[in-house]
Amino acid sequence: MVTLYSFAVKNIRRKPFRTGILVFAIALFVSALVFSLSFVMRVNQSIRKSSERLGADIIVVPTGARGAAEEVLLENRIKSFYMDRSLIDRVRSIEGVAALTDQTYLITVTGLCCSVPESMIIAFDQDSDFIIKPWLKGKVKRRLEAGEAIVGSESAFNIDLGLVEMDSMLFGNRFTMLGTLDKTGTGLDTAIFIGRENMDDIIKNGSADIRPGQISVIFVKVSEGVDPRKVAAEIENTIIEADTMARKDIGKSIIATLRDVSRIFSLTMLLASLLAVFLVWSIFSAIAHERSREVGIMRALGAKESHIVRLFVIEVLAIACMGGLLGAMFGTAFTMALGNSFSLLRNLSNDLETATRLFIAAAGFGIGGVICLAGALAPIRRLKGLEPLVAIKEE
Amino acid sequence: MPQLELRSITKTYETDGDSLRAVADVSLDVEAGEFVSIVGHSGSGKTTLLSLIGGIVRPSSGRILFEGKDLAGLSSDRIAEYRAVKIGFMFQFASLLPVLTVKENLLLPVVFGPHAGWSKEKKAEELLAMVGLADKSSAYPSQLSGGQQRRVAIARAFMNEPALILADEPTGDLDEETEMDMMRFFQSMNKNAKTTFIMVTHNTDLARLTQRRLRMHRGSLESENSSGR
Repeated sequence: MVTLYSFAVKNIRRKPFRTGILVFAIALFVSALVFSLSFVMRVNQSIRKSSERLGADIIVVPTGARGAAEEVLLENRIKSFYMDRSLIDRVRSIEGVAALTDQTYLITVTGLCCSVPESMIIAFDQDSDFIIKPWLKGKVKRRLEAGEAIVGSESAFNIDLGLVEMDSMLFGNRFTMLGTLDKTGTGLDTAIFIGRENMDDIIKNGSADIRPGQISVIFVKVSEGVDPRKVAAEIENTIIEADTMARKDIGKSIIATLRDVSRIFSLTMLLASLLAVFLVWSIFSAIAHERSREVGIMRALGAKESHIVRLFVIEVLAIACMGGLLGAMFGTAFTMALGNSFSLLRNLSNDLETATRLFIAAAGFGIGGVICLAGALAPIRRLKGLEPLVAIKEE
Repeated sequence: MPQLELRSITKTYETDGDSLRAVADVSLDVEAGEFVSIVGHSGSGKTTLLSLIGGIVRPSSGRILFEGKDLAGLSSDRIAEYRAVKIGFMFQFASLLPVLTVKENLLLPVVFGPHAGWSKEKKAEELLAMVGLADKSSAYPSQLSGGQQRRVAIARAFMNEPALILADEPTGDLDEETEMDMMRFFQSMNKNAKTTFIMVTHNTDLARLTQRRLRMHRGSLESENSSGR
């Protein structure tokens, strides 16, 4: 039994090359859309999650080191910067500060000081720490002794490769790797953690570029009901040697860069959308021209305007579905395969969740459908409004 | 009451400031079950008249009543329903859709009719057998000769069991023998199914076989004569 659906499918098969070109074009458009959306959402989500997972309301860094700190904490970059330890007490005295802990960042140089690949070594205060402990989940149920270390989840990968030995030389001191941290989704994943007790021996060895009494960052928790931004502003006003970042402001510089990238993507996708609409319009105009006589015959046989619209909408949607599905699949595959070739993405700790990937693919698929319908709208309206006799007489 | 009533129908086409009167003040009554033929020169307005009766063109003035209902009062959808249910069209050219098989072409009016979704394959096969193409149901129009395509289009016009067949030179591409076969088929449908026929033809021999002969000249309709079949 012939139906509007089977009739539409036969019409689509009528010119396979032309249908193929249209499907390919839609697939390309949807791929590009999925890739762009994935890129922007991954950076946005990663920064938001990383700042949430750090567990601190405010981060205090040396003046001028705000960007470097963001790069360490959000992008896994290896940087060091120092300020005087005495700032800890000055920060503690600010009203609204409930708890704080400090960390010191050291950079290993393979062959010169250390037996591990270039890594970030983080010395932390085990007594006051609230940044590292939540990710240990009881794996190391005691304090780290001198000469003991734990590694971030990404660095643990290096251990499996044999790049980091179970016993490694760090700044002239032998360290035993006790275990790995759970994945934090922050820059901490690529670091190696040691207790602050080791700093004296490291400094004595002289292979680390740090002086006694220096630290890199202070993480601050504010009292309940206190606005972190106000406390951060107070810290900056009181302590001229320090810059601060409130949790909501972490990643601002990256987000500002991303905003420009998003604008470029948006403009490119807008132009691509217009191009896709124009392509669909031109192909469906040609189809409408070729088949106006057939439409006239169908109208004479009793087809209503709605039958004609439905027939062509089914054809458009079938093409959109094919192109959209292919585009969503390829776009997702490209994103996963090529994502890490972009430095902005490579250094981010968080990848997109499956649900987010599915959402982006579905959005790309849907927008592909809308583009197809928008392009085919005018030719379909023209066919719908044809006077049957005029259409029949058209050659 | 006549099945079809045309009251002072005029159709004027406006093109580039010129106006062409294709049908001029035509009035006609056709009774249910009548077989009417219309002869006339090319351009005399025959096809336009059939199109007006079939509702695929709206008249510039005048009224067309089918079974007492004025077509002018019907919306586009109601006119389409009227064509799907009451009218069977035969065009003066091959009018099959190339992507559909012969049987699917026959079933196409069912898709647009009130019984969409009903299986009418048996009916299609019967009609194909009646026009001598039982073995061609799976063929595509491009695999048929012009005459065979014409016979498929003839069979298609009867798919929804219409009350009125509008046939525009339906046997134009057929050889004499097949033309007569088709004419006998029309006559049997006219007699047995009580289907009304209005047939435009150049063939005066065929016209003589019809119940009432009309002549169209410069848009006007004149009665030639009336005779029994």
